[in-house]
Amino acid sequence: MASMWQEFSKGLWKEIPPFRVVLGLCPTLAVTKSAENGLGMGVAVIFVLVLSNVLISAVRGIIPKKVRIVCFIAISATLVVAVELLMQAFTYPLYQQLGIFVPLIVVNCIILGRAEAFAAKNPVHLALADGLGMGMGFTIALTLIGSIRELLGTGGIFGHNVMWNGFEPFGIMVEAPGAFLALGTVVALMNFYTAWAARRAGLEVPENASCQGGCSGCATGQR
Amino acid sequence: MREIASMIVVLSVICGISGFALSYLKQTTQPIIESQVLRYVQGPTIRNVFPAATNNPIEERKEVALSTGLTTVFPFRVEGKLVGVALETQGKGYGGNIGVMVGFDVQRDVLLGIGITQMKETPGLGTNVAQPRFTGQFPGKGLEIALKSAGGTIDAVSGATISSTGTVLAVQQAATLYKELKPQISQLWP
Amino acid sequence: MDYFLMFISAVFVNNIVLAQFLGQCPYLGCSKEKGVSIGMGMAVMFVAVMATAVTWLVQKYVLDPFALGYLQTIVFILIIAGLVQFVEMFLKKIMPPLYKSLGIYLPLITTNCCVLGLAILVQRDAMDFSTSVLYTLFATLGFMLALILMAGIRERFALCRVPRALQGTPLGLIMAGLMSLCFMAFKGMI
Repeated sequence: MASMWQEFSKGLWKEIPPFRVVLGLCPTLAVTKSAENGLGMGVAVIFVLVLSNVLISAVRGIIPKKVRIVCFIAISATLVVAVELLMQAFTYPLYQQLGIFVPLIVVNCIILGRAEAFAAKNPVHLALADGLGMGMGFTIALTLIGSIRELLGTGGIFGHNVMWNGFEPFGIMVEAPGAFLALGTVVALMNFYTAWAARRAGLEVPENASCQGGCSGCATGQR
Repeated sequence: MREIASMIVVLSVICGISGFALSYLKQTTQPIIESQVLRYVQGPTIRNVFPAATNNPIEERKEVALSTGLTTVFPFRVEGKLVGVALETQGKGYGGNIGVMVGFDVQRDVLLGIGITQMKETPGLGTNVAQPRFTGQFPGKGLEIALKSAGGTIDAVSGATISSTGTVLAVQQAATLYKELKPQISQLWP
Repeated sequence: MDYFLMFISAVFVNNIVLAQFLGQCPYLGCSKEKGVSIGMGMAVMFVAVMATAVTWLVQKYVLDPFALGYLQTIVFILIIAGLVQFVEMFLKKIMPPLYKSLGIYLPLITTNCCVLGLAILVQRDAMDFSTSVLYTLFATLGFMLALILMAGIRERFALCRVPRALQGTPLGLIMAGLMSLCFMAFKGMI
């Protein structure tokens, strides 16, 4: 139980994607025009990530090593198609909003990265906790970025107006550049806080999170 | 050899299971997806074609077998009385097909209005065929419809001849279908 | 003329990295040196054009006739994964010099969302075969342009003192934001 909690909670702060572990940038930047879209994307990722982690961990003994990446891709792609169908059936407006980024969950490096780095080596219950934690962390991050952009870009959150009267929205925040600026600022603030906290505790200041070789690096680079 | 065999077996089992699971899921969700698409893609356009309707045209829609195949027809009622019908046709535009929803007045055999359901035209030029300046020319016109350049009454959007022609062609096609549909209308929606 | 407009649109106005957010990871990860970004850009271009051509044919002649459109994602990604493996083996045997320069990037490309993204994008926009392939070529040129520009800026930054919290990813993201702002200016062109 304790180890499950540990695997779950690391995704929420210590290794929260995409702030600490730079994974899955494309959806983070593309769909966070509003808090609602960010949340929707996050939930879709939780669904795929948890199930793919569990399934891959369950079959990890019988998959031949040479074809494991293809097997992982097949399993996660199946789950992504399932999500596509379910979203079309039950949340069609959200599906239209997220557009091409729903099928692209399959190449979201979080899915393959966690499959390769964690689920393929650990028992089912730990893989479940890991997937849930990472997925929730990703959802929180997406909702946060979405809220920041929506708040500054339109003056509201989740479609409700919360800014004072006469607030002039920064239209740029809901356009493409705003995504980069918002994410960059949040990552910088997190680095700043980590360094500050480490220095206060008298520890060595840790390295900044970085994107080693890109998404693809984590999924296939270790071959 | 054993290794290769096990690779093939594992891969085909995974693909087989996923294929079955997905086709099952597809079959279960198919009707729901269809009604969602109608509600969110065609729905707003249908309402714009004839805003005065008091019924829900999507719920009362019927599939009718016409010469071009099964066509979905949406009826408009005002206080229970059938006023018009709408159906969707496609015309070839500049960036792909233009979907046009065309409404007809069943009493007077004239157009009630048109609306664009989907298109991939050039923003700012071809997309103007969805603007009221263009679509507003259609209500009240008879079934013989053509662009001014072809001797008709419709002004093309300037700079977007292909998009305008595609839209008008779709309307003409809808008019042909309507003439074919006309005799059945009173039985379909009494 | 159409193709010229498409070129401007795909490279500058709707740049795949800076306006459509595909291929972010190599953009921020593989843009430390100009040489690496040219290699990565070439490899992506090579694979993406092939992948679009193959997936377009599969969609048209396998998925559409059998009404299997919903399996698009899974079929495309498996095709791309297989294609990458095949290209790697092929180049190793037939063209060792090209393999030497592109080889190390090839395994990284399977999960590059540029490739799958473009394959799906041309299907969603219902482009025909030659347009699809050309569009993919232009879009990946835009990808390479963004990568090379970013690498140029990064090479300069290696010589500066940057605040600690901004080092690495945050600075890259903020630079990307400013670059995307500049590219927005191209929107007025078409």
